[in-house]
Amino acid sequence: MNLDRRIDKILEINLPAIRDGQETIDAIIEKYPQYAGALRPRLEVILWLVNAKKDLEPRQGYISSSRQYMEHQFESIQPRGFWRRAISRYTPQRWVFNIVAPIIVFLLLALVINSAILTARLSIPGDPFYSMKLLTEDVRLALTFNQVDKTDLYIQFSRERTTEFVELVLEGNYELLPLAATRLETEIIASLRSLNEVPIQNQATEQPMIMQLRDTLTNEILMLNMLKGSSPPTAYSGIELAIQAAQSGLMALR
Amino acid sequence: MPARLDKDHELIQKAQQGDAHAFGDLYECHAPIIFRYLFAHLDSRMDAEDLTGEVFLKAWQSLPKYTERGIPFLAFLFRIARNVLVDHYRQSNRQESKSPDELDGYKEEGNSETAEMIGNQMEHQKILRVLATLRPDYQTVLTLRFISELSPEETALVMKRSVGAIRVLQHRALATLRQEIEKTG
Repeated sequence: MNLDRRIDKILEINLPAIRDGQETIDAIIEKYPQYAGALRPRLEVILWLVNAKKDLEPRQGYISSSRQYMEHQFESIQPRGFWRRAISRYTPQRWVFNIVAPIIVFLLLALVINSAILTARLSIPGDPFYSMKLLTEDVRLALTFNQVDKTDLYIQFSRERTTEFVELVLEGNYELLPLAATRLETEIIASLRSLNEVPIQNQATEQPMIMQLRDTLTNEILMLNMLKGSSPPTAYSGIELAIQAAQSGLMALR
Repeated sequence: MPARLDKDHELIQKAQQGDAHAFGDLYECHAPIIFRYLFAHLDSRMDAEDLTGEVFLKAWQSLPKYTERGIPFLAFLFRIARNVLVDHYRQSNRQESKSPDELDGYKEEGNSETAEMIGNQMEHQKILRVLATLRPDYQTVLTLRFISELSPEETALVMKRSVGAIRVLQHRALATLRQEIEKTG
């Protein structure tokens, strides 16, 4: 037992006697002379606190005289359980407000987020919500763990990039075409890479996916060539880039 | 202590059935301890008396909650007392000690200021001043252990610490208090 614990034990044993004034500091120290040095300062402080206690006592007769008043108070206020206390905490109107307000806020928030997602889905490069569209796509990819489903998503996104490309041409935003073509290329490469990563046990589903990607790329090349024929020369370079990207993808697939 | 716990248990059971007289017995038994704890933190005797009543009213209202927790009744009272004290500080913004002239409601009540009473007030102020120099957890452990006379186990329950931690805290608090007493003379 170390010194502090031993001292604590001595203090604990002698505390009742100090409180009752039955023992003096010197009398206690005499019993434990080997600990005198460590005991005396602590005993002196304890004695100070014990004396302080006397000055903090309630007035003579206060407790017994106030008891009757307190009992009347107790009788007028019956104990209440958790639910009664919780219910009586607010008025019924306040309860309705407390319940309805968060629901309304939640619904409004859901409406705003939903509208933003829908607007983002219809956006094309250059729109303020376009980055949100790309973010939503990334989230969908991150939440898709099956490789086949992931490949399917990449092919869908590749189609989406072509649609955006066509819309840009129709709207006359030719300056954005090179960037859109690069995005299309990235999506095609990602589709091919994802297709290569389909596990061997899913080989049966791989063949239809290859067919799907081939059809998608063939249609994209056809669509882009038609677009090139009907567009002004300033759009040629951008469209050519997209056609090259689709053709490279098709070649890689073969 | 077991005898006190048994008696408390019996009275609490009666009080939970709505027996205000049984709770009155609990009040008479524990109110002085709660009062001393509160008065060791407050500069007005009247505030300490009011808050003692408030602690017991809150305890009476929370009796069903007490059963759920299953802690000794005294520890339950002290937890309420601590919260009441914090609320009082927030409301009255009176953490700072006042001079003896400003103190104690007896002057307002029109009671005679005997020399003994003034002496007590001065002494009380001195105690408050010295205790106020300590860290809050030191103040609490010393008040609970030596002024409210709680056991280390009860103090541990009130302060939500282990008995070992209470012993260490008490040891350090006593050492710091000694230094403060020496400084103030």
